[in-house]
Amino acid sequence: MSSQPSSSVAPTIQSQPGAAANGRNWRIFVVALLIISGLLTSAYTALSLYIATRLVYVAQKPLYSTPAAFGLKYQDVTFPSREDHIQLRGWLIPGVLPNGGLTVQRTIILVHGTRTNRADKAAGLLNFSVSLARHGFAVLAFDMRGMGESPPAPLSLGYFEQRDVLGAVDFLQSGPLPYPDLGRPRAIGGWGVSMGGATLILATAREPAIRAIVSDCAYADIIPILEREVPKGSHLPSVFTPGSLLAAQAIYGINYYAVRPVDVVAQIAPRPILFIHGDSDDYIPSSNMTTLANAARTAPNANVQTWLVPGANHAQSFNTHTQEYVARVVAFYTTALGTDTGAV
Amino acid sequence: MSTLSSNSQNLSPQRGRDALLGLVPLVLLVLIIAVALALAALARQLLAASGFFAQQQAAVIILVAGFVLVLVAYVIAIVLTMRRIASWQQNGIAARAALWSLGITALIVILPFLVAILLPQHPAP
Repeated sequence: MSSQPSSSVAPTIQSQPGAAANGRNWRIFVVALLIISGLLTSAYTALSLYIATRLVYVAQKPLYSTPAAFGLKYQDVTFPSREDHIQLRGWLIPGVLPNGGLTVQRTIILVHGTRTNRADKAAGLLNFSVSLARHGFAVLAFDMRGMGESPPAPLSLGYFEQRDVLGAVDFLQSGPLPYPDLGRPRAIGGWGVSMGGATLILATAREPAIRAIVSDCAYADIIPILEREVPKGSHLPSVFTPGSLLAAQAIYGINYYAVRPVDVVAQIAPRPILFIHGDSDDYIPSSNMTTLANAARTAPNANVQTWLVPGANHAQSFNTHTQEYVARVVAFYTTALGTDTGAV
Repeated sequence: MSTLSSNSQNLSPQRGRDALLGLVPLVLLVLIIAVALALAALARQLLAASGFFAQQQAAVIILVAGFVLVLVAYVIAIVLTMRRIASWQQNGIAARAALWSLGITALIVILPFLVAILLPQHPAP
């Protein structure tokens, strides 16, 4: 019986001659584990922080032209984003009526894509704004935060930028408009391309004043795009993507995992939505349009139209099918927002 | 039997103390990370009006300082804990609970990396 207590104490009290060496081996093993885990996680954290700072920074592009180059009247405007009051810069271009008069009765908020600005030459944004204005729609084209002439800000791919669109709505509804004699818009619509389309969906789901939207090549969920683009841009394995996204949350407060227009698009109903996507889009696959349209149609009173543009790459539908594009969009807005009465 | 009972009673506090000692590096790690994240969030709020670059600079400085502090605290805590364990072992105490705690600490430290490896990803084509 006397050996029994001794053996039960064995886990704590050394009872064998080689136990000291054994203890030393265990210490070395545990230290090795601690060093390896510490080094791996440190390297992972440091690289993730670095990638996050690269991910959110966009060098701002200057505007290449103005609506004046197309013979249109416009005014520079500045308005604050909703909630965080970032001062955004833009143009208010009044619509031109058949009699040559100006109008803001039906105003379209134009939301550009990522790493560009309200004039976006590659996507033909300025030309599109001009087309809308010539069809009697006023256009509020503005630079989202961190782009064009608006103040620098982290690129959050819609997470913060939706506040910019909401700020544009506030400006049209209650801000100091540069054409006071034209009154305030009777109906507000939205048009967005790529990240602008996704951002517009997020904002419209929260703001009933936006009565109809056109979303061109938007993503349904940003994470699959980032899971492809972060390794490509950083030249590091995809294992760094989740760490980078978490690091972006720690540094900038951006939750990329919440940028999922597919989750909120059904809330836009019964307001009409026109989804446009190029079938040759190799940046945001056209399956995103299908996903968004299907999600939007889950609302009982959904009003959803789609147009898959043959042969168009990312954000190129307007450029490749200009006349048809304008005709379809104008018809959509006219149905959704009504005709211009010509009265102020 | 009375010896057995007395040894068992002494064993539990000893093991508890061992385990707690082994958890010191982990506790320090978690505390410093939590403070650094909270300070970064606070700096972001306080510097909201100062613009993006000031916000980014402040948050990065705080997080990098926290990161360095974590590394230093982690290394010092491990060295001190290991010294204590070595001295216990020289006095005939195995200190297995402390070693287990440190092993678990190593696993928790590497957990974010393991989760990142195992997390399913569905990149867009």
